[in-house]
Amino acid sequence: MKSILNFLIFFVFTSLSGILHANKSINDSINNELKEILITATKTERKLSSIPVNASIIKKIDIQKTNATKLSDIINEEAGLITISDFGGSEGIQMQGLDSQYTLILIDNQPLIGRSAGTLDLDRISVGNIKQIEIVRGASSSLYGNEALAGVINIITDDAKMGFNGTFSSSYETHNSFDNNIIFDYRNENFSSSVYLNTYSSDGYDLNLNDELNTVNKFNNKTLQLKLEHRLNENLNLKLNSRYFTQSIDNIASNYLSGETYTSEDNINLIVSHKSKKINTDLEMYFTSFYTDEFLNDQEGNQFSESFYDQILLKPEIKSVYSINNNEEIVFGLGMKHELLERTYFDIRAEQNSPFVYFQYDFQIDEKINLILGGRYDNFKEYKSQFSPKFAGIYKIDENKSVKISLGYGFKAPDFRQLYFNFSNSTIGYSVIGYNVYENVINQLIQEGMISSIIVPVEEFINPLKPESSFSLNIGYKHKHNNKINFKSNLFTNITQDLIDTRVVANKTNGQNVFSYYNLNRVITTGLELETNYKYDNYLKFSLGYQLLYAYDLDAINAFKNGEIYARITQNSPTFQLKRSDYFGLFNRSRHMGTFKINYFNSKHKLDSRLRIRYRSKYGLFDTNGNNYLDKYDNFVKGYFITNLSFNKSVNNMMISTGIENLFNYKDPDNITNLSGRLFYLKLLLKINNKL
Amino acid sequence: MKYLNLLLTAFLIYSCNSDSENLPAVYYETVTNLHAPLEGGQGQDNSGPFTKFDFESGLVTENEWDIAFRGTSIIVNGGSSLNINSEPERNGNAGAYIHNGLFTELESVDNDLFLQDSEEGYAIQTGSGNGWYTYTSAPNYLINPIPGRVLVFRTRDNKYAKVEIISYYFDAPENPDSAINESRYYTFNYVYQSELGNTSFN
Repeated sequence: MKSILNFLIFFVFTSLSGILHANKSINDSINNELKEILITATKTERKLSSIPVNASIIKKIDIQKTNATKLSDIINEEAGLITISDFGGSEGIQMQGLDSQYTLILIDNQPLIGRSAGTLDLDRISVGNIKQIEIVRGASSSLYGNEALAGVINIITDDAKMGFNGTFSSSYETHNSFDNNIIFDYRNENFSSSVYLNTYSSDGYDLNLNDELNTVNKFNNKTLQLKLEHRLNENLNLKLNSRYFTQSIDNIASNYLSGETYTSEDNINLIVSHKSKKINTDLEMYFTSFYTDEFLNDQEGNQFSESFYDQILLKPEIKSVYSINNNEEIVFGLGMKHELLERTYFDIRAEQNSPFVYFQYDFQIDEKINLILGGRYDNFKEYKSQFSPKFAGIYKIDENKSVKISLGYGFKAPDFRQLYFNFSNSTIGYSVIGYNVYENVINQLIQEGMISSIIVPVEEFINPLKPESSFSLNIGYKHKHNNKINFKSNLFTNITQDLIDTRVVANKTNGQNVFSYYNLNRVITTGLELETNYKYDNYLKFSLGYQLLYAYDLDAINAFKNGEIYARITQNSPTFQLKRSDYFGLFNRSRHMGTFKINYFNSKHKLDSRLRIRYRSKYGLFDTNGNNYLDKYDNFVKGYFITNLSFNKSVNNMMISTGIENLFNYKDPDNITNLSGRLFYLKLLLKINNKL
Repeated sequence: MKYLNLLLTAFLIYSCNSDSENLPAVYYETVTNLHAPLEGGQGQDNSGPFTKFDFESGLVTENEWDIAFRGTSIIVNGGSSLNINSEPERNGNAGAYIHNGLFTELESVDNDLFLQDSEEGYAIQTGSGNGWYTYTSAPNYLINPIPGRVLVFRTRDNKYAKVEIISYYFDAPENPDSAINESRYYTFNYVYQSELGNTSFN
């Protein structure tokens, strides 16, 4: 691998050296960081450089210059973040070693819904009009409540610029993938509007030609986004953000069964903002719906199976920011979440109202110290209400060095599936029952004579299921060595408890089991994040990111320590006892992950090139030797490197882009379904600007 | 009975006290490819006869049995029925418990631990991770014996045996593949104490 890396660096240097040193650069990202503003960390606009929590921003230019067409492409190039595809093919984020269901995903500050099997598919979000992606690592329920257990990812879309502007782009990629974007926007002093349309389609691909199934089926999707803003007077502003997404995926189960998976999603947010000298208030009314329907027909066109999932969230919220003085600021908000879910395998329409209130005190003690103290209370009926505190502080040692610390609580409430599921598998015959409907459903099954024995009595379901919760600690250090080199590091620990798992609660007369949910596991994820940027000259920049991760189930550690776990090398070889040091940790976690990037930019020739390499060390997907734990004698997925290369050249209002994703064609068909092999693409972008 | 291959020549462990018999009181055997078919499944109730096994002879039997297999379920000839289809009638005093440890290091039986099949469930619990196996779901769909789980049995006539299950697949492949290797073929090692009242496996 090293020689390939050397070759690549050599290649990039030599091929570009001819046009080096021709002009002075205008792109200076190291100093630009001081100007970067994010909103996710505090619900107020704050400079990234002075924020006390562990946050980062992926900028529009980086999304554009890498020619990403999918959000997962962008996320995977961010150190420490990785997308994991579930068996439905949905791409979710693993953050600080925690699963995708524990990261809250927002678009323009509002949550997305539609986790039909736990994962929110990131590839529902088109990237053509993203202004920036804000990433907050560490528990953030103190502002956002449910799901913000590992952290928050907020996708901020572009606002209209002054005048009349249009952007058109079209790209073609291997697998017959077409991505088209149209943006029209207009802004004057009091009014702005923008329309964004994206269509994306692909033939998918098949990594395993021996079976009848495709790895990724043919699909097409469309996104339409409309943003309107009107300033009524100096104090009052009206804003409407709306987005519509629809997708159709071929659903092929065998040569005889085929159908379609259809998805549609709406987001509408109406914001009334009032500004005065001391107090700024936003009143927001957010509505979102997510619908998906999946069917299979046989060859004669008769329906073989169908399932649907229909979810609605309505969330009014009011937020006020009160500036006490130049150094003190208070954020206060309250609101209510109204959620509805109807789906196959639910006997009832699940409904929930959860009011919430939050508070944050932001205090700049002196030039060196900034403290943030906050908390949020979420009221639930079906399970325990949650109070989520947060503390964060930053200390500027000098102009170039700072340390920060943040402590927070995060939780994820049991989802409707864990509460209300009533599912019986038609081919194997097992059943899964939601916690809150257990008594009713099990009694019904008993009456139907389907239960042979009860293992967990109904009485154990009296106390409500507890939300999964986490306590997180981040300690960061930032050092700007000079204008060329900077360095960031962060130590993190998340201690998560009451993780919800399934267990056998009864035996069925057909010999199968009935499963239900319960609070069980305690998990710890801890590690180190490093990032360093080196600006070689005005043309060349290097950056290196790394994450070290230890992720363990605490009960598993005890089981190994107590000598309760055994293994065999093969099934026929002798059994031996395992030690604590043989425990590898949680499934699907790599000890080491890293990114290495080289950016080249030549302003004279309006030419740039970006080389990105990401690495993931070995990980285990399953227990393969029968003891239920991932130990060092299990089979592991091999560690791998993925290399992406892009070129962009601007000519007047046009930009021509080309590149190769997965340059060395790395594939592991048995274990990694989201790596399809080498991809080539060509993209054309046209801009029209008409300054008024 | 062609599917039962008995390796009587495996290992013999000599019992010190045994002076009257030529055969040792404690012996070690390996049973390969004990077929435990299961009818039903795929939405139908599990059914079909259990495969009955006798420790003393090391053979699949029709009448005199200590334990019986069907799919991943193992029942004992003692206690009461779980009302599952086609369970054979129990007429003995067999019982079972699971010992967590090394098969070779388990020296004697703890009589207080024995359970019998009952309305509450089988003495050897079913379900992944509960009894003798784990089930890996998609995409491998394998039944793997849990290393270190020693099944300790009291036979129908109050003798003792310990069992270590090696494989659930035909010919016990080193790394089974559920798409290729046929399942419901047990391979297991056991040690049988033929002396009535003797709880030792040495």
